[in-house]
Amino acid sequence: MAHLVPKPVPRASAESRPFWDGVQERKLLLQHCRSCGNYWFPPSALCRHCLSPQSDWREVSGRGRIYSFVVYHRLYHPAFEQDLPYVVAIVALQEGPRLLSNIAGTPWQEIRCDLPVRVAFGDDGRGMMVPQFSICDE
Amino acid sequence: MIESARTLRNRCAIVGAGNSRLGQVPGVSSLDLFMEAAAHALEDAGLRVRDIDGLITRGPDDAYCHHQQIGERLGLNARFSTSLDNGGASQILAVAVAVMAIEAGLATTVLCGYGRDAWSRTHTSAAARVKNQTRPDSQHDQEFGPEFGYFGAVAAHAFGARRHMHEFGTTREDFAEIAMAFREHAIRNPQAQSRKPLSPEDYFNARLIVSPFGLYDCSLRSDGAGAVIVTSTERARGLRPRPVLIRGFGSHNNLTGWFANDNMIRTAAFESGQAAYRMAGIAPSEVDTVQLYDCFTYMVLVQLEDYGFCGKGEGGAFVRSGALRLGGTLPANTSGGQLAEAHVEGMLQIVEGVRQLRGCYAPERQVSNAEIALVSGHGGNQVCHSTLILQAG
Ligand SMILES: [Zn+2]
Repeated sequence: MAHLVPKPVPRASAESRPFWDGVQERKLLLQHCRSCGNYWFPPSALCRHCLSPQSDWREVSGRGRIYSFVVYHRLYHPAFEQDLPYVVAIVALQEGPRLLSNIAGTPWQEIRCDLPVRVAFGDDGRGMMVPQFSICDE
Repeated sequence: MIESARTLRNRCAIVGAGNSRLGQVPGVSSLDLFMEAAAHALEDAGLRVRDIDGLITRGPDDAYCHHQQIGERLGLNARFSTSLDNGGASQILAVAVAVMAIEAGLATTVLCGYGRDAWSRTHTSAAARVKNQTRPDSQHDQEFGPEFGYFGAVAAHAFGARRHMHEFGTTREDFAEIAMAFREHAIRNPQAQSRKPLSPEDYFNARLIVSPFGLYDCSLRSDGAGAVIVTSTERARGLRPRPVLIRGFGSHNNLTGWFANDNMIRTAAFESGQAAYRMAGIAPSEVDTVQLYDCFTYMVLVQLEDYGFCGKGEGGAFVRSGALRLGGTLPANTSGGQLAEAHVEGMLQIVEGVRQLRGCYAPERQVSNAEIALVSGHGGNQVCHSTLILQAG
């Protein structure tokens, strides 16, 4: 079903551009520190663990758990009207960083904290792919 | 461990407190609401603008150099003035900074306040109502949020509520008791915005907003302002009203973020409270009333735990005991709070703490023998916290 109002398109910054480029190729990339080996998110120039400027973008497992989630019943933006009620979750990736996303494919009543999830990618009528997650087996 | 400055204990006092009209005040800017509150605080203290030499404000959500705009309207050249940027934690921080400025000899008498036009701003049009934003678009995230339909402070706090429910078995019944207790207090407050009795049926039948929060878990959209005047305890003794001593204060900001670690279920209220208790030299058991930053019901529950009024995870049982009600063991948000009186980002909680310690209310609204009040502020992107411990003078 076509969206009458398009969903917001993320406005990438210079720092986050590689993340979004990766998502368009269905890859979840995070910055990885060459000095201390940690990952971080959201993107920024220096490592959030040791402030090293030496980092590279690495594809990560896309596996994690739901740290917490909420269910939108109230409309805040007309583009989400036909999605109501919809879930927004904080996903804690195996590599450490947490990111916000939607949980697709499971009724909202069945979502629980700590359920395992894996990344999926969707366009959702937006003309640009965004990372989403679905409940998966342990 | 870092020791807070015990030498600041009871060195300064609040000598005036006031508020503007509250609730729906269309056609009045946040600056003019602030001026109304400031005029009432001055009148309460028996002071004139020329007696004020310090000004600490927090801008409404779109102002640049807010203290300059207020100072211009007051006709005030200040020895010390600034506007703070810690969201709902700013108002108590203003009082703390006022104490520090006075002790440093940079000012003698400081006006602290905040005003906002959040009801008017979110009710100017149907689109404004849907968006329900008090800040301009440019201040909101442009990625990693809106593309997933993530908008607004309700969801940010609902994440914390959900995780707390998951870890500790907290329920919406617990949240309902907070909403009902504060509503019951608001019924005794003629200036409160919501004065209709709230039953459990009303709470559970209300529409969900961002679950686990329903309508009555969320604070009000309000126009309004509050202001207080801080001076040295020595000066306060020479003024007309009964002073309320600033026994201690604290601050803590989990700048790593609300989503990091367990910050949403073990909040910065813990460290902020520890600092304030140390400065005040008191334990939680010595607090007679609390005025907590109640942007959402859950935030009351988690702060009760973080401030040590009960153990971590025991907030639900604590509130269900009836502790928070006038006549209970820890009367809380006795004006109705931001859930039922008006939401002015914590400013009115300071005003209410002062009034309770002056013992100025009729018996049905007065915390009996109130000597110590704890007031909290919370905000920014949910991670800034400040604490004020007040003592009857
Ligand atoms: Zn590093």
